[in-house]
Amino acid sequence: MNSKAKKKPGSIVLSIISVILAAIFMTPILWSLAVSFQKEGKQINSILDWFTPPYTFQNYPDLILGSDVTKWLFNSVFIAVLTTVLTVILSAMAAYALAKIKFKGSNALYFYFLLGLMVPGEATIVPLFITANGLNLIDSYAGLVLPTIAGSMNLIIMVTFFKGLPNELLEAVQIDGGGELTAFFKVVLPLSKAVISTVCIFAFIGSWNNYLWPLLCSMSSSKFTLPIGIPTFAGTYTVDYVKPMTANMIAAVPVILIYILFERQIVEGITMSGVKG
Amino acid sequence: MSKKRKRKNLLAGLGFILPFFILYTVFTIWPVIQGVYVSLHKWSLMGKVKFVGLDNYIKFLGDKKFLDALWHTTYFVLITTPLLVIMALILALFANRPNKLKKGLRICYYLPSVLSVSVAAFIAKYMFTPYRGFINGFLHFIKVLPPDRELQWLNESGLAWSAITAMTIWWTVGFSMLLYLSALQDISPQIYEAASIDGATKRQQLFSIVLPLLKPTTYLVVLLQVIACFKVFGQIYMITVGGPAGSTRPLIQYVYETAFKKNNMGYAAAMSYVLFLILVVLTIVQKTIERKGAEADEF
Repeated sequence: MNSKAKKKPGSIVLSIISVILAAIFMTPILWSLAVSFQKEGKQINSILDWFTPPYTFQNYPDLILGSDVTKWLFNSVFIAVLTTVLTVILSAMAAYALAKIKFKGSNALYFYFLLGLMVPGEATIVPLFITANGLNLIDSYAGLVLPTIAGSMNLIIMVTFFKGLPNELLEAVQIDGGGELTAFFKVVLPLSKAVISTVCIFAFIGSWNNYLWPLLCSMSSSKFTLPIGIPTFAGTYTVDYVKPMTANMIAAVPVILIYILFERQIVEGITMSGVKG
Repeated sequence: MSKKRKRKNLLAGLGFILPFFILYTVFTIWPVIQGVYVSLHKWSLMGKVKFVGLDNYIKFLGDKKFLDALWHTTYFVLITTPLLVIMALILALFANRPNKLKKGLRICYYLPSVLSVSVAAFIAKYMFTPYRGFINGFLHFIKVLPPDRELQWLNESGLAWSAITAMTIWWTVGFSMLLYLSALQDISPQIYEAASIDGATKRQQLFSIVLPLLKPTTYLVVLLQVIACFKVFGQIYMITVGGPAGSTRPLIQYVYETAFKKNNMGYAAAMSYVLFLILVVLTIVQKTIERKGAEADEF
């Protein structure tokens, strides 16, 4: 039975429905993109007016050069990169010790870290704010980054992965006189590219999209990330959609590009963490 | 192992764990404990005011705004979860059909999920705004809505809930779809072959083979979705600010406003533990189901 013989009218109808659904899912994003290419103050009489020329690219340089959006973009990128790097290094170090170094108390520590999977961050924001405030971390980059790398989900994923690495390679390092640091950097990290790239992608996207904590932690516009800045910005332009939509697109395009570039890894990562979590 | 070796391992192990241990203890575990202490006090943004015992806990039991917010969150869970799960299943079945569209469909269905909550919420807000928004414009365009009428999506409680639900499905269904998709791909092609040799139609295959095999995934998707919906805050806060007249305000928004707008951290911390309890119970149920699923896989 080849695939051509199977094509029946019903199958074509299903294909058409599936494409219409895809179009519906893309419409809001394409509409926003179209709005961001319009001139400010255009008369909108029908929905088609949002999509028709004349177009302009001027909104992008206008916003990037003439508003706080660039600052927020920088903050978002800076915080996301810092979060990603620290999450990977600190979680991987701890995971390596739990998976491969035999010492008294390691099981108790593992159990202690498992507890963290139960703690819903949304329900502890008030005391978290008080703690961060006590440490003078409010409205600082450290305050925006440190609490977000303190979750134990990534650690648990890495422990499971590291346990599967062959002990022989680690023993070889020790026979050659290398210490745990050598084993960690020269053997464990290079062999764990798959799990590390998954954790990296999630840490980055998680930080990029984080809303609740930056909303509480950043007080001044100079510390806003894009998700916090954009709503304040959009509030001042209630009549015209062009500037807020352009700001929206400046925040959206980088993640959309990352998604399209790493689609396969992201999909694999989601199914792995979701199903086997 | 020699005594010296044991010592060396202990030091190395603790050294590797220490940096993460400190952050985890200070920012994940400590707030849970400190929250209890805060909730027993009248506590302002400036710090502790006075000890009030269980007053904060007794207070929310009679606080209409709290009970409303708890109900709104529950209502959101009840209407969004079933729609989202059904939609995820339909999209996964479409994206799993063996044709050239497969990859394109998967990318399109998942794309909204990569947007940050602010971007997604603001696109939705402008979509649903009357006069210049896309939805009313589209309804005028296809002549469903007369030109002189505008639907006030964000100012009528029922319409506001539909807007929030539609936006949430659009923005988050991709994740559940991927879980279904991976379960569908795990079904062996031989099962379909055997079924079609026995003369089962596509429809029979779907209802008597595929859907029963997806049952474990459905449990997981439903629970993950219920947990995610109980945490709802960002999109409602940005689309309707909890309005009109507080009729869409979820629990987290009330906690947030009580703590940071009304300066009553103690009361907010006490109310947080209701959410905490709901989420911990759901997470335990979810982990139990996952473990059962994993054990079933092994046989």
